[in-house]
Amino acid sequence: MAALQNNFITKVIEAPPCNMPDAIDHAQLSQWLKAVASTRDKQAFTGLFKFFAPKIQRIARSKFPNETQANEVVQETMSNVWRKAHLYDEKKGASTTWVYTVMRNVTFDLLRKIKGNKEDNLSDDIWPIIESIQTESEAFDDHLESKELLNGIEKLPDNQQQVVRGFYLMEMSQEQLAQHLNLPLGTIKSRLRLALAKLKVQLGEHHD
Amino acid sequence: MIKHHPKYELIQSFVKGDLPVSLSAGIAIHADMCSTCQQKIVQLTEQAAEVSFEEDLLDKLMVDSQGQDITLMDFDQMIDGITETDELELQDTIIEKSVTFKNKTFKLPAILNSLPLGKTAQFGKLARAAFQLNENEIHTNLLHIEPGGGVPKHTHKGFELTVLLAGSFHDSHGKYVKGDFIMLDGSNVHQPTSQNGCLCYTVANDALHFTEGLNKLLNPIGSFIY
Repeated sequence: MAALQNNFITKVIEAPPCNMPDAIDHAQLSQWLKAVASTRDKQAFTGLFKFFAPKIQRIARSKFPNETQANEVVQETMSNVWRKAHLYDEKKGASTTWVYTVMRNVTFDLLRKIKGNKEDNLSDDIWPIIESIQTESEAFDDHLESKELLNGIEKLPDNQQQVVRGFYLMEMSQEQLAQHLNLPLGTIKSRLRLALAKLKVQLGEHHD
Repeated sequence: MIKHHPKYELIQSFVKGDLPVSLSAGIAIHADMCSTCQQKIVQLTEQAAEVSFEEDLLDKLMVDSQGQDITLMDFDQMIDGITETDELELQDTIIEKSVTFKNKTFKLPAILNSLPLGKTAQFGKLARAAFQLNENEIHTNLLHIEPGGGVPKHTHKGFELTVLLAGSFHDSHGKYVKGDFIMLDGSNVHQPTSQNGCLCYTVANDALHFTEGLNKLLNPIGSFIY
């Protein structure tokens, strides 16, 4: 009876308070990442850890049924975030994209290690830091007035709609948008790219 | 001009880290020479990241997708351990490597530098060196074809990926140049020949199957190349 009660209490304590679901605060994450790089800010790192670790753990659990291995992914990924934070460039993309690539590389190398190969850590060679490329397409200016396109824009998630309207319809520069929405430039670029990709699919263009 | 690229779905798997090393390296080599595919990679990586890290109700409840409770790791201990050292990781300098086939030296793409390469074996105008990637039935090689050389008409029981590193070759479908990413399978039959010679990165998951009469006897070549 006592054991059962203990379990119940532990579970209640462990469940975090249920907040209203928020959109990801990209500005905050980016700021923390930069603080970690420039001043080795442990508090900022703790913020990043609390955001990413649970997600990484959940994703890793789906790829590695062994709990120890899943935890190793979290440990390695966050350790790399701490040690490589200076490689994050907010002009090139969102902080979430950068952390994703760190996690992906760690997972790739760990899977290879488990499959019996020596620890060859090939991920850094396969996914070097590629310069981001401007993808805003001029072709879109032609379609600007089209009703189809405007319908498509309305179907975008709010955060993407915001940047598309600002950039194409109000003709704000990316830098202006970044200031106006109080977001890192990289996040603006990411959202534009994602929005364009979605719109292209909606307007029926082929990918291949 | 590069005309042959990896398919969209293949790039998707690539950015998620789901492809084996052999194929991942092939895409990386091609992308290094193709800005269109680089763009796709950047775009698809962002998409994958957004999907993975979306604010999720599951996070709030700390359960996994099966509804099982996830034991919370000791965050504070992990954070302390990680932040103990202030060191920032320095990036390794890239060592350039090259290979030589029949007195011709080729610089290797950086991605291939860390892949262990075996000895070169020669067979007429063909020479190959195998990468030791421990991928069982998937074989990855550097294949060199001397000017005027070629591979007899064949198809593939599994798949065959060729990424041209230098030179060119052609078959009945056209000419292939440096950077082309050519993925073939059982539905393709071809007979690549190289007028001026070429060096290729090849990945195949089954021996080439030679299709024409006398050439069927040439299946040993298939095993050689494979």
